Amino acid sequence: MFRLDADPTLLLETEEQRQLRVVLSDLLAETCGPETVRQQTESPRGYDEVLWHRLAGEIGVHGLALPEEYGGAGYTFAELAVVLQETGRVLCPAPLLPTVVLAGQSLLSSGDRQACARWLPGIASGALTATVAGFLHPAQVTAERGPDGWVLCGEADFVPDGEGADLLVVAARAPDGERLFACEPDATTCDRTARRVLDPTRRQGHVRFRGVPADPVGEAGQAPAVVDAVLDAGRVALAAEHVGGSAHALDATLEYVVHRTQFGRVVGSFQAIKHRLADLLVAIEGARSASAYASACLAVEAPELPVAAGAAAVACTGAYRLATAEYVQLHGGIGFTWEYSAHLYVRRARADEALFGTGDDHRLRLAGLLGLTGCTD
Amino acid sequence: MSGIPEPAEFRAQVRAWLTGVAKERTARQEWGRGDDSVAVFENWTEAEERAHTDRIRDWERTRYDHGWGALGWPPEYGGRELPSYYEQLYRAEEDAFDVPRRTEVFPVTQQLVAPAIRIWGTEEQKRRWLSPMLRTDELACQLFSETEAGSDLAAVRTRAVREGDGWILRGHKVWTSGARIATWGVAVCRTDSDVPRHAGITVFLVRMDAPGVTVRPIRQMTGGSSFNEVYLDDVLVPDTDRLGPVGEGWRVTLTVLAAERLDSGGLGLDNADRALDLARHLPRPLTGGERQQAADLFVRALVQRLIGLRVTSALAAGREPGAEASVGKLHATATMRATTDLVQQLLGPRLAADTGEWGTFAWTEHLLGAPGYRIAGGSDEIQRNILAERVLRMPKEPKGAER
Repeated sequence: MFRLDADPTLLLETEEQRQLRVVLSDLLAETCGPETVRQQTESPRGYDEVLWHRLAGEIGVHGLALPEEYGGAGYTFAELAVVLQETGRVLCPAPLLPTVVLAGQSLLSSGDRQACARWLPGIASGALTATVAGFLHPAQVTAERGPDGWVLCGEADFVPDGEGADLLVVAARAPDGERLFACEPDATTCDRTARRVLDPTRRQGHVRFRGVPADPVGEAGQAPAVVDAVLDAGRVALAAEHVGGSAHALDATLEYVVHRTQFGRVVGSFQAIKHRLADLLVAIEGARSASAYASACLAVEAPELPVAAGAAAVACTGAYRLATAEYVQLHGGIGFTWEYSAHLYVRRARADEALFGTGDDHRLRLAGLLGLTGCTD
Repeated sequence: MSGIPEPAEFRAQVRAWLTGVAKERTARQEWGRGDDSVAVFENWTEAEERAHTDRIRDWERTRYDHGWGALGWPPEYGGRELPSYYEQLYRAEEDAFDVPRRTEVFPVTQQLVAPAIRIWGTEEQKRRWLSPMLRTDELACQLFSETEAGSDLAAVRTRAVREGDGWILRGHKVWTSGARIATWGVAVCRTDSDVPRHAGITVFLVRMDAPGVTVRPIRQMTGGSSFNEVYLDDVLVPDTDRLGPVGEGWRVTLTVLAAERLDSGGLGLDNADRALDLARHLPRPLTGGERQQAADLFVRALVQRLIGLRVTSALAAGREPGAEASVGKLHATATMRATTDLVQQLLGPRLAADTGEWGTFAWTEHLLGAPGYRIAGGSDEIQRNILAERVLRMPKEPKGAER
């Protein structure tokens, strides 16, 4: 049975992490305000490429959790989680999740040193954007060995940043088993179509592979284990983003209700409002704790990671749902307008649940991991 | 780090000591055997309560006498001045040993009342009370709530009137746990009705065997009695048993209440674990919905533990814990309710009628006891007010007509 034996100091922010948070929130306040986020999502690539390079170059965000031998800074996921909380707080549309977390972790988890040496330095420096295909949703991609090496055929849908990412790490069926491949497709062999999306700050695409030249990553048959590890990393990353987004929703709502006056009182003086925000605080503190624990488990590669990641996903998707619903509701009419930011957070919260699963999906998975199934024989 | 052992070293020392004085709990209690009680509030006769208390007290004295009690206290009170986090480290080890489970009067004495005496007591009072309370030679209960002063505790009407070098207490307190076995009661009294009500309160320690003190059990919705009402009929209390300055009793009270909130974050976890064991052992496959419900309870309990760890580690690092310190009790009561809901779903009719089967109808004790903790120790609604006003800094509740 699962036993919580965490070193409590891992749940506490270090001084270094606090400084990182301050630097980052200053930079994002200057470059990623609500208006600029909207403008960025309407730009051709969907995010601010100047900011992307500042994040990679000035702060070293992309390489933070990557090993030094591949151009990274050699910190852990606990530091990256600080970054994701802050980018999640402002809905920064830069594709850090697909590039650094999903593609980056795929390459690292594969243990393929050659592939890591080839691609990770580009990810660390910000030169490359990347994503994964065939990981999150069932896809039909097959790999065949042709006269000039491996080629991929088939299609994958709902690929994060699927239209624009430079590098695709693809889980494909090869003759000798499920295997990962890396490719930088171009239009001659690959059709990439942006989907219309619920959340404009996080693009998704449909990718059709028509004989895309690709390089194998890792060993044949290894893909399912790597995919599992990457999904757990994705869950932990989203949990951190959700803590940031939920905290923003609480802050913005508090700011509104202590100034808005109705019936001759600020509405924040009504117990009906106070108790709802108190409940939201309770949910967010729970989410923050679960996220910190999951990040710590990922950072030290603890065996509890699958449970910790699932628990963080349950706690954080739940808190984010509640936070974004209250964000709209407690702002009244203004919260329902297009101009106000609340709906962007509703969109992010709900669209994210389609990435790695809803709270109920995670609960079902956890029940299996923990044997909460009754007697099944 | 002079004299403070590393956590791992400390845990090993605790283990070594415990191995010499207590039996290790059998690897894992076998499902379907042994005690299946999940009572939230014990239902004991006075004789049973005394017997249990004596057993726990023997163990607490052993701990204290060997230097494993009062860990965070200075040597003059029998402690070792370790960071408060070490008490949790100690408990994590002790969990693996078969030692008596502490009833409420023990944490009330050691974690609530003793720290308040340390802050508010005179030197003479500290010398007189602290070591005996930490060693549990003396046990203290809380004489706080009254019939007309529940959530609004500052409305207390129990009067304390000065007479010579003492005070005469007269009033009626309710919802006191441990009143039958406590030697001292911490009484929140009104000493001045002519000043704003928070300024007219003073706190006294009352000997529970003093003439005029009458304890009557309250029968609660579980059918049993673990709380009492306490009548104070012209009880004489020497001025040397007054805790804190006259008229400053509200601040003394808040000290105790804050410690109580911090101490309640672990409530309900044992029973949540037990309900999860039920989900593992139920003699049929769980439906998808039941699995989700069970996993949800697991997450709640895990999160509640993590919040506790965050509080402890903040304290260990010498930082004031933030919002996490105040949300613990609301998490705890929600966990208790979710436990009831899961068990209800899993047991169906066996929760409503006693078939005599182990570990089934016993859950009615949890079902009926859990609502008590949403009211005791600051109701859920008061906890929300505290979060909204003190943590989120929202406007205070408007006061009614009385001061």
